[in-house]
Amino acid sequence: MQSLYVEGNSVMHRLSPRVKLLSLTVFGVVLFISDNILLLSIAVLLTAVLYRMIGLPFADGLRRLRPVFLTIVVVALFNLIFNPWQQALVPLLRLTALMLLAATVTATTSITEFIDEVTALARPLERTGWVQADDIGLALGLVLRFVPEIVGRYQAIREAHKARGLKVRPTTLLAPLIILTLKDADNIAAAIDARGIRRHVS
Amino acid sequence: MGLDIRFEGAGVSFGARVALQPLTLGISGKRIGVIGLNGSGKTTFARLINGLTKPSVGRVTVNGRDTSDEKAAVADVGFIFQSPQNQIILPIVKDDIAFGLKRRGLTKAEIEAKVEGVLARFGAEALADRRAHELSGGELQVAALCSVLATGPGILILDEPTNQLDLKNRALVEGIIAGLPESAIIITHDLELIAGFERVLLFHEGRLAADAPAAEAIARYKEIAA
Repeated sequence: MQSLYVEGNSVMHRLSPRVKLLSLTVFGVVLFISDNILLLSIAVLLTAVLYRMIGLPFADGLRRLRPVFLTIVVVALFNLIFNPWQQALVPLLRLTALMLLAATVTATTSITEFIDEVTALARPLERTGWVQADDIGLALGLVLRFVPEIVGRYQAIREAHKARGLKVRPTTLLAPLIILTLKDADNIAAAIDARGIRRHVS
Repeated sequence: MGLDIRFEGAGVSFGARVALQPLTLGISGKRIGVIGLNGSGKTTFARLINGLTKPSVGRVTVNGRDTSDEKAAVADVGFIFQSPQNQIILPIVKDDIAFGLKRRGLTKAEIEAKVEGVLARFGAEALADRRAHELSGGELQVAALCSVLATGPGILILDEPTNQLDLKNRALVEGIIAGLPESAIIITHDLELIAGFERVLLFHEGRLAADAPAAEAIARYKEIAA
């Protein structure tokens, strides 16, 4: 399987995963507290510089962000219909800055580091008796593992449409994509069970 | 650890559909082949052995332990799936091998030693830092084998291990299987792979149709498939 992680030695690569995850959390909260356009614009600029520093070729970097950015633009356009432009610009800047930092953290932190760190951070929650920290870490790791897989599946289904001379429509893409993704999820779940990863085998 | 698997009237149904008729059978020995047409019950039979599927009736034991105890089944039996890419959870080979060990209370040094040990066993040290999606079919099988064998199961189930491999990778995987000290149950359509086995189980329409040396079971399989 592919990974969203990008090999490199940038400042963000060298930062500890814990610092990155906590910074992302704090940054997200701060972004939603402020509605100052200048401040939010600076945040976008800074996070764009950080994202550019991770070592991805420019086109690849943009390609990764495209689906999320298009969603953000749609949200901003809806806002623009019902609100003044300033109010539409705020969520656009806010979500763009958040997207850029999240993409930077994801690209500079391996899935193993994510799982280990999230598991460690969730460990105190085990005292409530409601959750298993290992399972929270594993769930997050699997989400990250599946993102490129789903994109790959989407491209394969698109190519299959084209090869058969069929027009690519979201309605005909979604059903096979969902079915294949669920089938993959079943296979991975079986592998996790077979390897005793969730069963805490001693 | 030897191989001592017992099916005691164990069968599997999904609603009205019978995937495996109740089966009473003892399995021991180093190498067991399992053959049959698609949908004949081979994989259901194998999944019963490591507790991935629970019997609808009867029970299955491995070395005396009921496989409905999932922990026992997983500790004793390793399972290599048809598509190794679905078995590998983390993108880097050594991380994936270590992942199965992390929740077993081992220290970091012990985990590293086990990862290095299992890779060295197959002469696959060069795979340690490779990304799984860049590996060839044969290398993927080796990585999947390492991830399972690192946890030390005494019994290994391989579900179509040479499926979709070219001749070179098939020879690589066949060589590895031949040299495994662990007991192995091999489900396959590759009749050459099990040609020398003393015991081969043939499944047909959810039933055990033959339990015989390879030549006899293969001949019967060819009759069924004709």
